[in-house]
Amino acid sequence: MAHSLSEQCTPLKREYDACFNAWFEGYLEPAVSTSARPEERQKFAQEKAAEYERNCGKLWVQYRECVQKAVKDRGLESLLEQARTENPLKDAPPAPPAESS
Amino acid sequence: MHYFSQLFQYDHPWAHVVIGMWHKYPNPHCSHVVTIDTLDRSVDPETGVIRTERILGCKQKTPIWVVKLFGGSEDAFVREVSFIDPRTQQATITSVNLSLSQFATCYENIRYSPTHDHRTAFHQTAEIQSRMTLWRGAADKLESWLVQRFEQNAQLGKIGFTDVLRSLWEAKEGHATC
Repeated sequence: MAHSLSEQCTPLKREYDACFNAWFEGYLEPAVSTSARPEERQKFAQEKAAEYERNCGKLWVQYRECVQKAVKDRGLESLLEQARTENPLKDAPPAPPAESS
Repeated sequence: MHYFSQLFQYDHPWAHVVIGMWHKYPNPHCSHVVTIDTLDRSVDPETGVIRTERILGCKQKTPIWVVKLFGGSEDAFVREVSFIDPRTQQATITSVNLSLSQFATCYENIRYSPTHDHRTAFHQTAEIQSRMTLWRGAADKLESWLVQRFEQNAQLGKIGFTDVLRSLWEAKEGHATC
């Protein structure tokens, strides 16, 4: 696993990444193959989102606190804010029509 | 403005490539990427879409004229936002440079989508543009340098990710058969 911006955060990052990856690997393939019925899909997504929170929520809070401080200390906060203002990217970019056919 | 685009197919199903995304670094082919941090992540309980915002720290030799003119350094940072939608089987990654961003922007878009034969299409585009407030000659030079670096890194990224996917899934499949 790669290092964190701050060596202090690297152990927290690795714990969090390992937790997320383990959860994600159990999530993705069932999520792809789960029934096409919207209500079943939604139920599955809700259960899995809650499971992620349960498993990795605490690790995430600790790691995020550390990395937010590291971003400040490295003077990256204003560059990030500018990038977020220019392009918030709150939603996925639309699929290009040529590829969806 | 420079425009870059490449298409490629990975010999792995979509889910394997998308799982592999989180294992791409550290990578001997892409040793310029030294740090990765997640800044924000959400799992949408309605749609199942995962949105992740990360910051990547890169270290790559920078020509002396870039340092002199623009005050760049070997350390460069990139903001990356990805969306993984299991329902539509689309994964998109959008990246933009934070360093030198007052002089030029490099917007990169990557999309992974399944093919009919259970492989994964990789479509990468990038737009590299200097901000026109610069003296024209310097702006053009900076833009060409960024394009050249982007193209080199894009090739290395492809080779590096191919290796990661191979070792990741060969190892897993190896365990499964033991």
